[in-house]
Amino acid sequence: MSFLTVVVRGLMRRRVRTGLTLIGISIGIAAVVALVGISRGFEKSWEVGLKARGTDIVVSNMSTSLTPKPFSASVLDRISTLPHIAATCSLFVELMSIENSEMMIVSARQWNCFGWENLKLVSGRMPHDASEHAVVLGQTAAQVLQKNVGDPLQVEATELSVVGIVSGGALVEDGSAILSLSLFQEITGNQGKINVIDIRVSPATSEKEVNALCEQIQKTVPEVRAVSISQHLSSSQGYRMVRAMSWGTSLLAVLVGVLGVMNTMLMTVFERAHEISILLAIGWKRSRIVRMILCESALLGFLGGVVGVMLGAVAVKILQATPAIRGLLEPDLSLGLLGIAVVIAVCVGVISGLYPAWHSSRLTPGSVLRG
Amino acid sequence: MNSSSPVGEAATPLVFEAVDLKKDFDDGQVQALRGVSFRISENDFIAITGPSGCGKTTLLQLLGGLDRPTAGTLRYRGNSIEDLPDLAAYRAREIGFVFQAFHLLPTFTSFENVQIPMFETDRRPSQRAERALELLKAVGLEHRLNHFPSKLSGGERQRVAIARSLANGPSVLLADEPTGNLDSVSAGLVLDLIARIHQEQQMTVILVTHDMEIARRASTTFLMKDGQFVDGSPQH
Repeated sequence: MSFLTVVVRGLMRRRVRTGLTLIGISIGIAAVVALVGISRGFEKSWEVGLKARGTDIVVSNMSTSLTPKPFSASVLDRISTLPHIAATCSLFVELMSIENSEMMIVSARQWNCFGWENLKLVSGRMPHDASEHAVVLGQTAAQVLQKNVGDPLQVEATELSVVGIVSGGALVEDGSAILSLSLFQEITGNQGKINVIDIRVSPATSEKEVNALCEQIQKTVPEVRAVSISQHLSSSQGYRMVRAMSWGTSLLAVLVGVLGVMNTMLMTVFERAHEISILLAIGWKRSRIVRMILCESALLGFLGGVVGVMLGAVAVKILQATPAIRGLLEPDLSLGLLGIAVVIAVCVGVISGLYPAWHSSRLTPGSVLRG
Repeated sequence: MNSSSPVGEAATPLVFEAVDLKKDFDDGQVQALRGVSFRISENDFIAITGPSGCGKTTLLQLLGGLDRPTAGTLRYRGNSIEDLPDLAAYRAREIGFVFQAFHLLPTFTSFENVQIPMFETDRRPSQRAERALELLKAVGLEHRLNHFPSKLSGGERQRVAIARSLANGPSVLLADEPTGNLDSVSAGLVLDLIARIHQEQQMTVILVTHDMEIARRASTTFLMKDGQFVDGSPQH
């Protein structure tokens, strides 16, 4: 019989209570996996989208909302002559409710800029020109909206025609409705306004030069922010808020898990005071009793973590399939995140077991004989 | 002062020596032991007897290092038990306990219960299992290895408890009313087993009982009353 057997038997003593505690931790860990996975996935999908468009620098005015604040399209004229800039593309990116989709990315792009280059036609055609009342849908967006080539699509008060289905090489692109910038400005009443400028730098430009260019753009146009794509999301207040909220909510759930485990382990120690006294009476060291309690709570945490990771992954898949966010995100359920979640669960177990273990170490063996 | 062998005349090495041993509870309101002195030698078979509440169990607790005396001195092989560097190791290796209520762990089988004390030794799991099997065979329970305590009779439980007490090869067996919860047949078997262990393993046995019949099986009897040895005790 190994020490692990002793630990497992301790947990199996009250199976229902152990099971309920396990569920408590699992829910906390599932929250970590789901919320953090989604927020990370959200960031990642935007980053992949930017990379797919071949963007090196993003000029925008990120606010606390998820989409940038609009600014004058004339900003482009002020920065397009700066060194190392190979190409630019003005955009208006908005999250909008379109027909049966509560939240759809609408990506309006300056006609004929490099922002159209990554789009590969799956069916249909691209718009003939900037003024055609036409839209192309990413593959996922077409599925979500249940549209095919030739179908009408209502954007705001204007009816557009779906002329093509495209693959954009990134989830964000595939989940977007893409149309010309001037058309979008016209139908939304945002004439002369854009909210993003994608910049592609010359091929030989070093990272240092890219950073210097960003600084130069900011000096030239103080009302916007220019960041390289690697810094784009980490510097965004909106994403930082999403990240903080997902971790904050998760940690609250984890805290509930901590209290659950602590309660269980305390009950265990109280109930097993007699048993612990027997162990002390037959020669077990207090350190071994402490180790036993800590191992039990750590094992409880570990099992809760494993179950929680699975629950979280399932929850994410269900969320992914909900119409409101379908096609908008690809959760980051990387091994790293899942590993972190299990480590958190084990830490929850150990931390929760500290007080009960300390309490158990204060029991005296004499009570066995007196009893 | 009472002693099983007078001071200066010990023929065999002393195992325990107590001088004016006192134990109070509840801030001195209860005086469980009121200054007892005695000597117990190697291979002695001592019975401590007396009415309930006379201090027998308290004395056993002090001998087993489960509690500390309020005053007086208690030595094990010349060393003060209170000053032993590792009291848990003393309990694990030197002392075997047998309790009236058996005190087996309910979630472990007989076989596993006997292995529990051996976690405090260097034995590997396979060696622990081997030793547990050997001990359970010795107490006639090889056919009950995988039975949980709830599935054993009182006598069988006590025999498992005796096997457990011998797990680490202690030199002293402390038994607190070991037959208190048993019928007469089972009690006889358990007492025979304890007597056999005493003889075969040359082990010092200290047995607490309120039954004078049982006490007579020991080589020496300490009769206690109100926390003290009664005049004339020890009785041979």
